[in-house]
This record gives sequence, structure tokens and C-alpha cells, in this order.
Amino acid sequence: MDIRAQVSMVFHLDKCIGCHTCSVACKNIWTDRKGTEYMWWNNVETKPGTGYPTLWEDQEKYKGGWQKDSYGKLQLRLHSRLKGMANLFFNPFLPTIDDYYEPWTYDYENLFNAPEGDDQPTARAVSMITGKPMDSIEAGPNWDDDLGGSPVYARNDTNLDELTEDEREQLNELERVVFFYLPRICNHCLNPGCVAACPQGAIYKRGEDGIVLISQEKCRAWRMCISGCPYKKTYYNWSSGKSEKCILCFPRLESGQPPACFHSCVGRIRYLGVLLYDADKIEQCASVPDDQLVEAQRNMIMDPFDPAVISAAKANGISDAMITSAQNSPVYKFVMKWRIALPLHSEFRTLPMLFYVPPMLPVLAKTRDGTYDVAGLENENLGAMLSSLEKARMPIKYMARMFAAGNVGEVEDVYRKLIAVRIFKRAQKVKDYGQAEVDSALAQGKTNAEEVEAIFRLTALPTYEERFVVPPLGRESAVEAWEDPLDHKREAGFGNLVQITRRRF
Amino acid sequence: MTQGATRRFTVGMPCRLPGALITLACCGVLGVAAPRGARAQTAADGQTLFAGMCKACHTIGGGALVGPDLAGVTKLRAKDWLARWIAAPSKMLAAHDPTATELFNQYNKVTMPDFGLTAAQVASVIAYLESGATTAAAGSAAPAPLPAGEAARGRSYFVGGTGFTNGGPHCISCHSVAGLSSLGGGNLGPDLTNSGYVKSEPAFAAFIGAPSTTTMAAIWAKTPLTTQEQADLYAFLSKAAVQQREPDALLQIALLCFAGAALMVVVAQLYWRKRSKGVRKPMIARTYSMKRG
Ligand code: SF4
Ligand code: SF4
Repeated sequence: MDIRAQVSMVFHLDKCIGCHTCSVACKNIWTDRKGTEYMWWNNVETKPGTGYPTLWEDQEKYKGGWQKDSYGKLQLRLHSRLKGMANLFFNPFLPTIDDYYEPWTYDYENLFNAPEGDDQPTARAVSMITGKPMDSIEAGPNWDDDLGGSPVYARNDTNLDELTEDEREQLNELERVVFFYLPRICNHCLNPGCVAACPQGAIYKRGEDGIVLISQEKCRAWRMCISGCPYKKTYYNWSSGKSEKCILCFPRLESGQPPACFHSCVGRIRYLGVLLYDADKIEQCASVPDDQLVEAQRNMIMDPFDPAVISAAKANGISDAMITSAQNSPVYKFVMKWRIALPLHSEFRTLPMLFYVPPMLPVLAKTRDGTYDVAGLENENLGAMLSSLEKARMPIKYMARMFAAGNVGEVEDVYRKLIAVRIFKRAQKVKDYGQAEVDSALAQGKTNAEEVEAIFRLTALPTYEERFVVPPLGRESAVEAWEDPLDHKREAGFGNLVQITRRRF
Repeated sequence: MTQGATRRFTVGMPCRLPGALITLACCGVLGVAAPRGARAQTAADGQTLFAGMCKACHTIGGGALVGPDLAGVTKLRAKDWLARWIAAPSKMLAAHDPTATELFNQYNKVTMPDFGLTAAQVASVIAYLESGATTAAAGSAAPAPLPAGEAARGRSYFVGGTGFTNGGPHCISCHSVAGLSSLGGGNLGPDLTNSGYVKSEPAFAAFIGAPSTTTMAAIWAKTPLTTQEQADLYAFLSKAAVQQREPDALLQIALLCFAGAALMVVVAQLYWRKRSKGVRKPMIARTYSMKRG
């Protein structure tokens, strides 16, 4: 057993209101510099939709993540080592700037300085790449927000691939139209494709907390990580000539605050805490067949109350405070105790450590004589949905493709439990369900009153301290490995130790 | 130069004592150095210089090689003209000095190198020339005539087909000459087409036997050519020299470059034919064409 600590995350999708506050908080702190205009370390996309960059989930196009070779061994989808050498100077599968979007600002000055005229002055869009006015803006990081342009964007969502033509058509019917938001940051994976793809060895996973970082001193702009990451969460800074990615606000974590996107989240959908995992199992877990991936990943995560795990953790130098923090982790509850949070696209096999509670959505519209009755009674729908999840408004196959590598059973279990929570609480507060219905819902959701109360509490009424159990990272003791912590503190100060300038070739 | 700089330094810091002291010290050093530099030169010094630098192209009383025979040259030309010429031939030519230009044309337009001799060294060379010594008498004036050479073998030596007995490098690594393929030879040394050095046998033999240029001397002192090799090379070079470089050689090179570049583009296109050419635009185009269709 090789126990390590990982700062992990849960996003509760039912709570996300798609306000993009998280993205803006991140942008203002980290990516408002030259060369980072197009980057959104945190982005929020509408599903169904093609996301940012366009169709990032389609690995036929981008070649991100891992696949199993003919011997069943894990291999980067991007290339073998030999092919990597051959493509070193030209990586053929990079997204183009158009696949992200052409970043722009507005000519605000004109609003103040325009000469007097018959018309109101306008602020034209100005490209942040060319500096010239843009006649038409063709794409943006959330271009298909709220199903904007859905005949093109939503229709091309790769997660819809397994639906029948009928099912796809139904999604476009006026009464059935449905969508939800998917906020994304780097998953700080346990088997990161970005790290494996880097020919320079510039990307590393921090020992004490598992945060994946790109060394700005070592990066040499090969840009293989951008292809290697199936979530397209590393970006190339054209000005500094280095790649950059979400750093999980580690400077904030080190001072006990949650990352800025977590802190600012309006819907309070985000939870952060430590998980202990067994690093010996990484390769084996990442190699199981698709439908077992979610369960395999759960198997890697260890019980922080188990004395054997605790002693193994201590043997690996994990502090007592860190172990206590893992015991209080809300992430452990969502992922392991209640099993209602699932990793996004585990079929990419990077073992992402950001988990999502899938959205219930307005589960079902009532049918009357075969047509949908949007004014229907919700309570009837909830009960009905338990036995007929396949009638869910957003096809369960779609959810399974996103959150369980196609394993419908995993997603159904989650939904049954979530519905049980809802029926239980409605019976309690609104009193529109009888005890018999509650009991059957609890049974089907494989849960009990106590657990349901706990889920309800952490979902609807959590305090700041319950949502964010920021571990004491003990950077000082990690630094001890190479330097006297007091010297380091004095030397590090603010900003970069080494000035990072653009390399001239 | 040093003095100029020193003077500026003094003017710049007129009342600084250390500056003034340094200036004084410098002047002192220069003052000591001046008489030593001006010490009388002897014809013996001149002889050494002549043997090292001039002999490859000139004889005294042994006949013309690359450059003229220098017997009696001190009577033929004014002494100060000689001094200026030996010090910097290129300057004289640039200034269109009539005598210099005439000599230049007469001797196959080979420029005499600027050896960068000091005034004192020039004086000693002139003293040696005046002394009436002859290199002919010393037996090294005109080298022994070369045996009969074979041009084909010479070409093979030149391009590297046959190795030199003493292991010297092949001429093509530094030189080009007409009659090679379009790409020619190296660019470090001059193009030997119509070069003055290959116009007459004694000139060639004298130079190649003991080259006076720094690079050539460094190479051939250690790995000298045999006389037969010299003869073969001469046979090849004198023949090649008569020809003109084909006028379309440059065009051929350009075409070769163009074809090479085109080939590389084709190979790259084939190798990376599956590369991503953007995702969003094709997706939109595909969706709209499907709708219309
Ligand atoms: S999400 Fe991408 S960038 Fe982040 S650790 Fe995983 S592979 Fe690397
Ligand atoms: S701030 Fe929170 S609620 Fe708003 S879009 Fe981001 S994740 Fe969703």
C-alpha cells in the first residue's frame, strides 16, 4: 500500500446556475495577462453542447488521454514514444485558435471620445490577437450557452452518439428541450495524460497534495500536454512561450483558503477536501474495461478511518493533520460514503479527481395521451421516474456516457438515491408523499433516513467550513526536502523567483 | 589609437589627479616603446620575411611566377611607391594607382595579399631587395619543372576520388572550379576557375609546394603533395581553368533547391495528412450541408 493524499473536488451540478462567476474570478486572478487572453482555466459549458474548445470530448479529433494497446497495456492515444519523436517539431493534433475562439475586447474609448453625431456611438469589438476591429464574432468560450445555436452545437455533442435518431429528435421538441451546466477545471488527475505527454518532464504532480503543475522554468513549448490532456485543460501562452494550466489556486490553499472559483461560486456547488488513495493501484485501475472504471477508481480511494490506511499514510510522511482533514472531507462523503458523485469521462483513463453529482434536472414532464404536459404535477413524475428512469428528460444513456464511461447502472444508482432524497424531504416538508412511497423510494435508492438527512444537509445547507475542508498543506515541511524553510520563505517572497521572458529562437 | 584615446581621457578629466597620473604613465610607456620600434632593420630580417611571405609568388632573378620577378625592382620603382605597395596593395588598387592597376591586369588579376607588415618590416624587405641578393643563386628560385600530369587523375584528386599519398584533404572541401557538377565545391578558399595561380606551371608549383596563405600553409606543411600529385592537379586545373563556369550553374542550383523544398513539402503533407485542420469550422460546415441536403 502506497498511500498518498490528493486534494479533490466535487461539483454538484443540480446547484449550478450557469452564472460564470467562477470563470470570471479565475480570469481576473490568473489569466488576464498577455498571451493568456483565450484561456479559461475554469469554464462553464452548457450540455448538450460542444463545449470549449469545440468538441473537446471527441478524442478521434484531439487524441487526448489514454487507450489500451493490442497487449492491453495503457498507452497515450496521442502517440507512442517513437511517433512522439517524429512529431516533436510538429504536433498534428493541436486545437487551432478557432477551436477555442478569437479573444476580443471592445473599443470602450469610443463611447467617450466619439465626435458628436446623429447616432449613438458604439464600442466595436476589437480582436485581442490582431488588434483590429472584428466585423463578426464567430465563436466564444460559452458560445452555445443556454442552448444558443443548438441546431448546430447541441446536435454535435458527442455524448449523444449512442442515442437513436428518435431520441435525438425528441431532445429538440419544444416541451422536452433540456440542458444543464457543466463547470470544468483541471481534474488534477491521478494518471494525468498531460504529464505523460510532456517530452521535457516539465509537468509534475506535487507530492503533498497531488496538484498538477507545469514548471514555467522547464517548459519548452513542445505543446504535447495540450494534446495529451483529454479535457483540454492545459493551454499555450503564445507570449511567454510556455504552457499554463489551472493551479488549483495553490497559493490560496497554502494559506488556508479555497480556490477562487470555489470561494466565489454563487450556487455553492463546489466542495473541496482531501482523499487518501493507494498509488500502487493506479496502473491496474486505469486499465480495467470501460464499464468498471468508476468502481475501480472508488477502489483506489482508501478509508481514512481504517487504522491500516492511517499507519500506511503515516509511514509515507502524511501528517496527522492531513489525515484528520481527510476524515472530514466532504468529497469522501459524496464519492465514497454516499456514492453519488462520479468522475467526468472516466473512459479517458486519466483517473480525474474532480467528481460531479449528476443533475436531476426537471426530471420528467407529465405525459397526457402521449404528449407532454409541461404543467403536469411534479410529485407524480418523481415517483414514476424511480421505476422508469429510461423516461428521464435527458436520456440516462447520455448521462452514463458522460459520468460513468457508458455504465448505465452506475448512473441509475445515483439517480435513485437522489430521487429518494427528494421524495423523503417532500414527504417531510410539503407532505405530498405518503409513508409507503417514501419507504419504497428509500429501498430503491438503497439508502436510509439517516443517510438521506446527511445528504440533504451537505447539499442544501452546508456551511463554508463543511464545503471547504482545506487541508494544512504544510508547505514548510515539503520544502524541507531541499531547503531550510525559513530561507525559502525569505527568498520566495512574491512572484516568480526567476523572471520568465519569452524565448527568442 | 592608444594615444588618441589617452588624450581624450586626459581632456575629459583635466583636474583628476589619478587620471593625470595614468596618462603620464601611458605616455611614459609609449615614450620607451617608440625608439625600440624604430631600431634599424637589416637586410637579414628582410630575407626571412621574403622567404616566409613573398617566395610563393615571386623570385629574384628566377623568372615570373604568379607575380613578377623582383630582380632590380628597387631601380625600376621609386622607393616610397614600393613601400606603399608592399604595406597595403589593396589600398593602392582601390585608389587606382596607374602602375598598380597595370601590374594587376598584367598578372592575371591576382591581388597581392595585404600582409599587414609594419613600416619597419616593409623597410627591411626593401633593404633585402636592394641588397642585390638573388633567390636564383640560392637554388630555390624556380622550382624544378613538374613531370607530365594526367588531368583525369588530377580531377579525381580534386574531388576526392583518390586519396593523397600523405593524407592531405581534398581540394573540393574548400575550393570550387569549373567543370565540377552544378553544386561545385567549398567556399572557404577562392574559386580556382581562371585563377592566376593555375595559369602557369612554375607559379602553381611554387605556390602549392610552400603555400604562403595561413590556411593553406597550415594544412600542406604537415601533409605535402608529391610532385606527381602536383603535376596531375596542375593538368586538371589548367584545363578546367580555361573553361568558363557554365552560365546556368546558378539556375541549376536554384532548381535543385526548389525541387528539394517541393519534395520536402510533399513528404510532410503525406506524413501529416491526418493532421487536425480545425474542428469548429468543419463541424459547422458539415451540419449546415447536412441540413440542406
Ligand atoms: S485534467 Fe488534463 S491538465 Fe489536468 S491533470 Fe488531468 S490530464 Fe493534466
Ligand atoms: S460560479 Fe458556481 S454556480 Fe456560477 S457558473 Fe460557476 S460553478 Fe456554476
